[in-house]
This record gives sequence, C-alpha cells and structure tokens, in this order.
Amino acid sequence: MTQQVTTQLTEKLPRLSRARAATVRPWLLLAPALAVLAVLLLWPLVRVFLFSLQDYGLREITTGEPNWIGVENYAQILATPELWTVVLPNTFGFAVLSVAGTVVLGTGVAVLLASLGTFWRTVTSSAIMAAWAMPAVTGTYVWVWIFDADRGVFNDALMSLGLLDDPTNWFTNRWTFYAIVLLNVIHHGFPFVAVTVLAGLLGVPKEMLEAAEMDGAGSFRRFFSIIVPQLRQVFAVVIILSTIWDFKVFAQVFLMPGGAGSNRSVLNLGVWSYVESFGQNRYGFGSAIAVLLTLLLLVVTAVYVRTVLAEEER
Amino acid sequence: MSTTRPLVRPDAGAVRRPQRRPYGRTSRRSPLRQLGKGVLVALLLVFTLFPVYWMLNSSLDAQAGHTNSFWPAEPTLEHYVFVLTEGGFGTFLRNSLLVALGTVLVSSALALLASVAVARFRFRMRTQILMLVLVVQMVPLEALVIPLFVQVRDLQLLETLIGLVVVYVALALPFGIWMLRGFVAAVPVELEEAAYLDGASWGRMFWSVLLPLVAPGLVATSIFSFITAWNEFIFAMTMLGGATENYTVAIGLRSFFGVHSNDWGAIMAASTIITVPVMIFFILVQRRLASGLTAGAVKA
Amino acid sequence: MTRAMRRPLVAATGAVLLAATTAACAGGSGDETEGDGTLSVWIMQGTNPDAKTFFDDVSAAFEEQTGATLDVEFVEWADAHDRFVTSIAGGTTPDVAETGTTWTPEFADAGALAPLDEYVDGAGVTEDLVEGLVEAGTYDEQLYGMPWYAGVRSLVYNTEMFEQAGVEPPTTWAELEEAAAGLKEEFPDKIAVAVPGDAEFTVYPWVWGAGGEVATLDGDTWTSGLDSPESQEGIEFWTGLATEGGYSSEGATTWRETDVLDAFAAGDVGMAVMGSWTPGAIVDANKDMEGKFAAVPIPGQDGGIAPSVLGGSHLSMFETAEDKDLAFEFIEMMTTGEFAQQWGEQSGYFPGQVSLLDETLASTDPLVAPFAEQFVDGGASVPAAPTYGAVQAKLTTSTMMQSILSGEADVATASEAAAEEMTNVLNGSE
Repeated sequence: MTQQVTTQLTEKLPRLSRARAATVRPWLLLAPALAVLAVLLLWPLVRVFLFSLQDYGLREITTGEPNWIGVENYAQILATPELWTVVLPNTFGFAVLSVAGTVVLGTGVAVLLASLGTFWRTVTSSAIMAAWAMPAVTGTYVWVWIFDADRGVFNDALMSLGLLDDPTNWFTNRWTFYAIVLLNVIHHGFPFVAVTVLAGLLGVPKEMLEAAEMDGAGSFRRFFSIIVPQLRQVFAVVIILSTIWDFKVFAQVFLMPGGAGSNRSVLNLGVWSYVESFGQNRYGFGSAIAVLLTLLLLVVTAVYVRTVLAEEER
Repeated sequence: MSTTRPLVRPDAGAVRRPQRRPYGRTSRRSPLRQLGKGVLVALLLVFTLFPVYWMLNSSLDAQAGHTNSFWPAEPTLEHYVFVLTEGGFGTFLRNSLLVALGTVLVSSALALLASVAVARFRFRMRTQILMLVLVVQMVPLEALVIPLFVQVRDLQLLETLIGLVVVYVALALPFGIWMLRGFVAAVPVELEEAAYLDGASWGRMFWSVLLPLVAPGLVATSIFSFITAWNEFIFAMTMLGGATENYTVAIGLRSFFGVHSNDWGAIMAASTIITVPVMIFFILVQRRLASGLTAGAVKA
Repeated sequence: MTRAMRRPLVAATGAVLLAATTAACAGGSGDETEGDGTLSVWIMQGTNPDAKTFFDDVSAAFEEQTGATLDVEFVEWADAHDRFVTSIAGGTTPDVAETGTTWTPEFADAGALAPLDEYVDGAGVTEDLVEGLVEAGTYDEQLYGMPWYAGVRSLVYNTEMFEQAGVEPPTTWAELEEAAAGLKEEFPDKIAVAVPGDAEFTVYPWVWGAGGEVATLDGDTWTSGLDSPESQEGIEFWTGLATEGGYSSEGATTWRETDVLDAFAAGDVGMAVMGSWTPGAIVDANKDMEGKFAAVPIPGQDGGIAPSVLGGSHLSMFETAEDKDLAFEFIEMMTTGEFAQQWGEQSGYFPGQVSLLDETLASTDPLVAPFAEQFVDGGASVPAAPTYGAVQAKLTTSTMMQSILSGEADVATASEAAAEEMTNVLNGSE
C-alpha cells in the first residue's frame, strides 16, 4: 500500500511556485506537532536525564538550582538488592506474562469471532468492547472489590463451595497480587488485540486456506503456516503496543491494597519511581529509575522500529 | 448497508469482494464443533462481562458490602444519588469531558496536519521524522512525570484542565500521527491530482478532497485520544494536586475511595457512572474502530 | 448513518468540541494568584463530621471581620502528604493549611512555610499554647505551626458485644487477649479486635507499652528502636492477636484507620485502637451505634496506660500567601476563642490552647474522659525529626505490619528491616 502512495506529488506539478511551496509546506504542516513533541516530550526526556544526575529534592525543584552528584543515583539503584529480586522481576516478568496472555487470548478470541455467525459475533464483540471501555482505574477497583478478603464475592464463592476454610487476603502475597493485576490487565488489554487481529484475519484470502486444507493441513498447521505469516505486521503491532502498555502499568498496581508502597514485594519500576519522587522528595533518584524504565523499553522496542522501518523503505 | 461505508475504506476491498472469500466461517458444522464453540463463547462472555455485571449489581444493591447476592438484594438508586451529589461526580464528569474533548480536538488537528506532511510529501529528513514519531511512541510518558510536572508548572498550568489537555495532547499525538498517516496514504493520489487539474488550490483540495476521505481515520484517532484522556491517571494525580474542583473522573474516583473505602455500593456506582458512557460509545463505534486500527496502525 | 448525514455531523461535532474547549479554558483558568480578598485554605477531611457547616459559619464571620472571602478545600489524610509536597514543588500551595504535626517541620525545612512567632507575639497568645504542640511546630527555633488541636488514640470497644459475650474492658494485655477470646467465641463472624496493617499509630502504643522505643536521638543521629527485644515483644503481642489468635480479619491486613472506623461503625468490630475524634464519626456513619460503644485508655502490658501518639494539627501559613496579615487573622480566629472551642466540641479533639484544654479535660463524658486520661497520662510523640514525614510516606511501619500479618515475615525479620529503613530515612541517608 505504501509503495503506491509514495509517488511524489511534486513531480507531477510543473509549476515552479508549486514546487517551492511543496518544500516549505510539509514543514509548515509538521511545525505544530513537532513543537508539541519538542516541548512536551524531547525536552522532558533530556530533563529527566539531567535530574537523574542530581540530588534533586523539594528545595531544588522549587528553586531550580542544580545539585550535581554524577551517577550516584544510578549506583545506588543498581546496588539496591530489591531492584534485582523484586522490582525488575515484577516489571519484566509481569510484562512478559501479560503481553503473552493478552496476545494469545486476543488472537484466540479473534479466531473464534471469525468463525461465528453475524449474531453471535455482534454479541461477543460488544461484550469485548465493554471490557475494553472500562477505564483502568474503574477496572482496578472492581477487581479489588471482587477479591476483597472479607466481603468479596470470590472468597465468598470459594468458601461456600468448600474450597476455602477462612477468608484469604489475596493482596498481601506477591504472586496472588500480580495474578489479580494480570487478570485486570489482560481483561482490559485483550480486546484491542482481538479486534485488530480479527480485522486482519478477515483480510486473509480463503482460497489459500482451502488449498491448504485440501493438501491435508490441520487447523493448527493452517493457522501457523498461513495466517500467522500473513498477519506478521499485525502481530508486530499488537505485540509492541501491548509491551509498551504493560511495561509501564502503574494505576493497576498503585491502586491495589498495599500497591502504593506499603507492600514492598509488589513494587515495579513505575511505582517505585513515583513513591521515591513524590513520597520521599527524591526527584533525582526517582528520575534515575524513570530513565532505567525508558531505556529498558527503548531497547525492547528498538528491534521493532528497525523491522518496521526496514520494510517501509524497501 | 453499503451506503454507510466510507468511500475508501482501506480494508473494504478485502472484505467485500465476493470472489476473495475471507477467512471465516467454515462449511463444516459438526454438532461437536458447534458445542465446543458455544462453550468457548460462554466462557468468553463470562470473563469479559462478569466484572461489568458485578459492578452494576453492587451499585444497585443497598446491601452491597454486607451480603453478596447475584442480583440486588435490596434494589436502590441511593448509591447513584449519593455519588452524584455528595460525591461530586457531576463535576468530575464535566471536567473529564472537557479535557477529553479538548484533547481530541487539538491532537486530531495536529496529527492530521503532520500525517499529511509525512504521507504526501517527500522531503529531506522525512525518514528521520518518521523515526522520531515512532521512537517517541515508545517512550513511557509515565517516566516523564517529574520533568513534565516541572514543565507544566513553568507554564503556570498546574491544577488546571488546560495543563492536562496540554499533556494529553503530547500523549496522544505520536499514535495519532502514526495511525492517520495510513489513512492519508490510502487516499488515491489521482483524486488530488484531479482536484488540481480542476484548478483547486492546495488548501481547497485539503478541505474538499482529503479531509472527507480521511474522516473515518479521524474518528478512530479521536476515539483513541478520547480514551487516553478519559482514563489517564498518574498525570491527573500529580498535576491537579489539591484542585478538587478540577478533578477528572479517574482521580475523583480515587479520592472518593479514600474517604468511602468500605462503601462498595457507592464506589461501584461511581465506577459505573464513569464507565457506562465510554462503553456505550465504544459499542456504537466498534466497526469504525476496527477499520481504523487495521488501516492506520497495522497497514502502515 | 448515511453518507449524506456524515458531513453535518462532523461539522456539528467540531462546533461542540470548539465550544467545549472554550469552556475548558474558562473552567480551567488557574486562579492561584488570587491576592485580592480571597484566602485559600486546606483543611483535612474527616476530622469534624460537621465541617461544612462549621466552615460556613467561619466564612461568614471571617468575611464580616475582614471583608475577604474564604476558599476552603477539604483534603484527605491519606493523600495529603503527597499533595502538599506536590503543591510545594509546583508553587501552588494554599495561603493557610492544616498541617499534621509530623509534617510541619518537614515543610518548614523545604522553605515552604512562613514563621509565625512575630504574629503570635502580636496577638498575645504565646503563653496560652499547649506545649507539646508548640514543640512539634518548632523548626530551627522558629514557630511554623500554630497549635490548633490535638487528639489521642485509645481503645474503643463495642459495649453491646462486650455485654453479650460477658467480657470486661481490659486493663492488661492478658485481659485484652481474654476479652478477644471471649468475643470470638460469642461472635465467630465478627472481628474481636481489629489489627490494621496500614495504620502506624495503632502500632506504637504496643511498642511503648512493652518498654520499647520507635526512635531515639543521640547527638544528631537517629536510631530506630523498633527491633529492640522490648519493641519486638510489643509487636509480637499486637500482631499475634491476628496471626495466632485469629481475632482480627484477613482483610484488616491492608486496612487503614478509616477502614477500621467503617467496620466499627457497622458494628462488626469488638474493639480497636481509635482516635478521640472518632466517636462523632461513628455515630455519623451509623445512627444505631449511638450509646453502644465506650473507650478505655490503652492498657499497659501489666496494667497502667500504654503511651499513645499525641497526634494533632497545626495551622500553617505558606510563603506563597500574598497577604500574610490576612492569613494570620484567619489562623487566630480558628485557633482561639469561640471557633476553637466549637471545633473541639464537634470533632472530639482537644484544643491547642491551655485555657480551653483545661475545660475539656475536666469533662466526665464517658466518650471524652478516657481519652482525656490517655491524653494527660499516656501521651507520647513520634520522633521530632523533619524527616519523619518521609518515614511516614515510605510506609515503613505499615510495610512491617503487613508483612507480619500476611505471614510473609516473622516479627524479628520484619522489625529489623523496618528499624534499618527508619534509621536511614530519619538520618536522611537514604
């Protein structure tokens, strides 16, 4: 699709004024967006790095006076044992699990939707939309309520089924805490994948599948040998976007009982950065954590950027 | 039905053309298969809808928080009355609406202009700009809370709705450019050339040819910006600070929870009030959304 | 929708958006720079159940006296520290705010507060201020927090449940455990004693009651004593009520004090450590509870009274206040005379002025007297360091409690970790 439109408009328009306008015009069109990106993204990006090299407290933030300490914040972060045992595993492990969960479930649902009749497809996709529409904050409170230790419906149900003797507080244990976060994030995230993959699936020519079926390929083979390659781009996009979203999950952890810092075993990079900066007034330290989070994400996504651009320019 | 389609829908060809039947319903319909499918659909519906249902159920039950039942044991609307009056959710809804609409308007306009530039013109640094947009999309904005807080403070916009709009535009813009670019690229150049041959100016061509054709894309990006602004939490929390009268729904709910943490009926009523408008909107536009996603993000 | 309809719709949407943005501009225009005749004030929410009416009266009186209008904003305790810090960083502080006694030195240290000595001397009330509150509000030998009110936590119990279970209010720890056991037997589905995991001030009485210390100052170095054998014994007893006795609830592991209050008001709790200000809030939340609960001072290990935190609030003036005289006029109106007394009566707090306090302490009200006894004979203070606010924000004690209550760590391990962290944060070395 890209090849067809990259035809240069300017070549076809002989008049000189047009040509000149065409060199200036893209920049005029880009100017507002670039200005916004420069002021609100690039400069803050530089600044967060500058802050991270300082002992930046409340005093510095109000007066704006620098207080350089070199890489001390980074040294301290890297020397924090919890970074390696708690924070990074929580951030990284959770992102991997939730991306996998979201993409697998979303794809499965897309395949299921594609095989349904119009009525059930409408019903199901409306339900999916409802899940998608639930804001993260709302969703988090709903899950917290469902899993509430004393009065939540989950414990109630388990106890009346005889699976549980006494109420359990699921929020105090690191694994069950993140299991709930995972449920929350997948519930909120899989609809995007499902809708996107479904749209892609509907574009796969059926003849290819029928041909494969005649060759005796099973449905799994058909899925992996025909659909997956056809939807390579689609998967690249949903995986990368899910990765971005799941790495920086904040509200879904922060708003859970114990998630705002009192339960240290559930800290992730985002929450850690927030509680250190806005709770402890250590904006420099918090910034250094933020820089690490950014770098981590950039490294993970750099590969994708290169693939997409490489295809683009071909 | 066909009249409802936009003139150029990027995936329309694939879906409509009968001789290229899409992947989809197979002709095989064994009863076992149907049953299995039914079970899967049922499971899926339970998973997606249970939280929504439980939220509604609790919000309508005066007994919520005391006894759990699968339909309101003592049906009431008192929770809704409470959150809308004393809870202040009327104000929060208004604020969120203003912020979200402001974000949609500004970010769509900027994204459209920028996407035309990158999709329609070849100029030096085009690749670099594209790269920039992509990379910027990868930056976790949440990591920039501290400098953005300082930035917005320096602009004297802390605790204001405008301050939030400014930040949300930055949040929504890269994705908007990326998505719209696909739509603009899909508009046949011939149409524009025809307009030029008719003597139209570039500006006129933009308004009368390009804009109507990328309208579906604008709808899709608008939805994204809207949702971004409606759901956003961490910036609202840090930047609105003590300005309760400017709270958006997300932090309004958190602050309500802080005071009424055990009043689950009311918390669920507040959650419902926040969620349902978006939900209805989403269900109404789901077709648009799907086409927007494929055209913009995916078929880049 | 047909194609023909789409255009007008787009146009209409555009118009709506435009109107909305314009409205947003109007609605959002920051009115932080109001200097002329408006005083912005932050007050903590939940102290006085009738705060709205109270401040309506104050506003009217203030306007009559000064011609200026009051803009009162209610802030929740749970959020307040972060919010203050954020507003200090952002330069959006109010003119006057209620500051928790543990925060005043911290905000003064950040250069956000204006010293009050001059004004207080001018008003001639220096001698009448309650000493503990003055001490807590003093930083670098200057007064930054005007004593407003103080409160203390005691043991509040549900008299109906106690009668029905045939148990007596405890005077020692052994009796407390007995009472809990009796309650649990009679009310297996209720909470005999609430042991909340996210409420540091309910923990310290047991630390002090066993002879331990939260933190001590030696020279200019703080050392937390949470891991001393005495402290551990106290923590062991308190958490043991939940982990071994099963007298608390699973949910309480992540409870804050407001959750305890809600549950107590609902009649689900036998006893709990609660503040002198809660009786009003309990009845306010549930009319049925009226007359069905009482309080006793927190028992010491073998009798006597275990010390409990003398918490309270100052009214502080921020450097950003443009009209400082006006700001102090408000502070004076709030902390002295009629309004101070009224606030104390409505909220169940003890006023910050000696002349008013004596009156309250002489009360025989069963929901005032035990607290007054605790206040006088069993009042203690948290470490008076400007960094204590950071310890609170770090949730050090809550972290310890939650890890013990959830069984993730034993008392020894958890208290050692907490002590180490508290020592570091107090000394500003982390």
